[in-house]
Amino acid sequence: MGERCLLDRILQPGSLSVHFQPVMDVRALQPHYFEALIRGPRGTSAENPTILFEYARRKSRESIVDRACVRAILDAARGLPRGSTLGINVHASTLAMDEGFVEFLGAAVNARGICPRRLVIEVVEHAEPGDVPAFRDALAGLRGLGARIALDDVGLGHSNFLMILECRPDYFKVDRYFVDGCHQDSHRRAVLASVARLARPFHARVVAEGVEDPADLTALARLGITLVQGHVFGLPAPVGVTLWPSRPQARS
Amino acid sequence: MSAASARRVLLLDDEEAILLPTAKYFRTLGCTVDIAREAEEAEALISHRRYDLAILDLRVTRYGGTEGLEVLREIRRRDHATRVILLSGYVSSEVEAEARALGADSVLPKPQPLPHLAHLAFVLMGGSRG
Repeated sequence: MGERCLLDRILQPGSLSVHFQPVMDVRALQPHYFEALIRGPRGTSAENPTILFEYARRKSRESIVDRACVRAILDAARGLPRGSTLGINVHASTLAMDEGFVEFLGAAVNARGICPRRLVIEVVEHAEPGDVPAFRDALAGLRGLGARIALDDVGLGHSNFLMILECRPDYFKVDRYFVDGCHQDSHRRAVLASVARLARPFHARVVAEGVEDPADLTALARLGITLVQGHVFGLPAPVGVTLWPSRPQARS
Repeated sequence: MSAASARRVLLLDDEEAILLPTAKYFRTLGCTVDIAREAEEAEALISHRRYDLAILDLRVTRYGGTEGLEVLREIRRRDHATRVILLSGYVSSEVEAEARALGADSVLPKPQPLPHLAHLAFVLMGGSRG
């Protein structure tokens, strides 16, 4: 008998594990939100998330895998510091093609007692979203829930000006390619400065990904980029490993 | 087998009885082996890393497909120097011609004795284009 196909293993309850990495506000020195990062079934090639999502895209099963990831993330998020905001990656194609996704997400967070205002939906894409009106409707639905929108990998591939206009993101996430080594590369700083300028009329904040060198932190701060994510503030880790010391929650 | 220590091998086959022993055999020879049971899984692996050798089963569904050729096409599209051995239970002259045209280094009937397969693999990798 052959092994069940990889997709079946991915979708099996409990097969996905979740790590979290803080997006740090370097001014407050506190996590602004925690991005959830999925790991596929242990012992399979899909344990590596790059391979997991490439496989899902090649199977044209982004939506069903995204839903499975959302369930796993929301379950794991119970262990985060109380009141934490949660970043969840979702394919643009899922938003465009899966008509019930927003309703599914709303029901999933309600069932777990998570306030949807504590969600940041990070839109990722490796191809055009396809049905643009449906994509816009889904984004409006997410905002209607109270979620904020981040556009992932700004400056790379399909995360271009078109996607910026369609998403009107609350966060522009800049890929590590532009960030790593920016303190000693004026051209990288020029690109980062242009993204920071571009974000202003959207009333959006820029998140610099892949920050590993403290010298880059200083360069980013000079450009007004104060949300950062990367090894300098900790590797992705499962709940239970200290992601960042929690502080008492202010009463509102 | 120190020369093999850096060799990375991709195996595509949907038959566990062939896939797992082949993987184990190549690992004992010092290779790093990734296994895939579906073409999409193999393609996802190829998109992520380079291989010195890919051993691809031509048909990895029950429906008479030629997925191994699709994976071979994807390898060559990425301009990889990967050496490719294509295996099939029945190798027609048309399939062999297509595989050769796509850049397969060897097209063999299946199953192959593991020592023979490994010998061919190391001959090919010894002359790797990479």
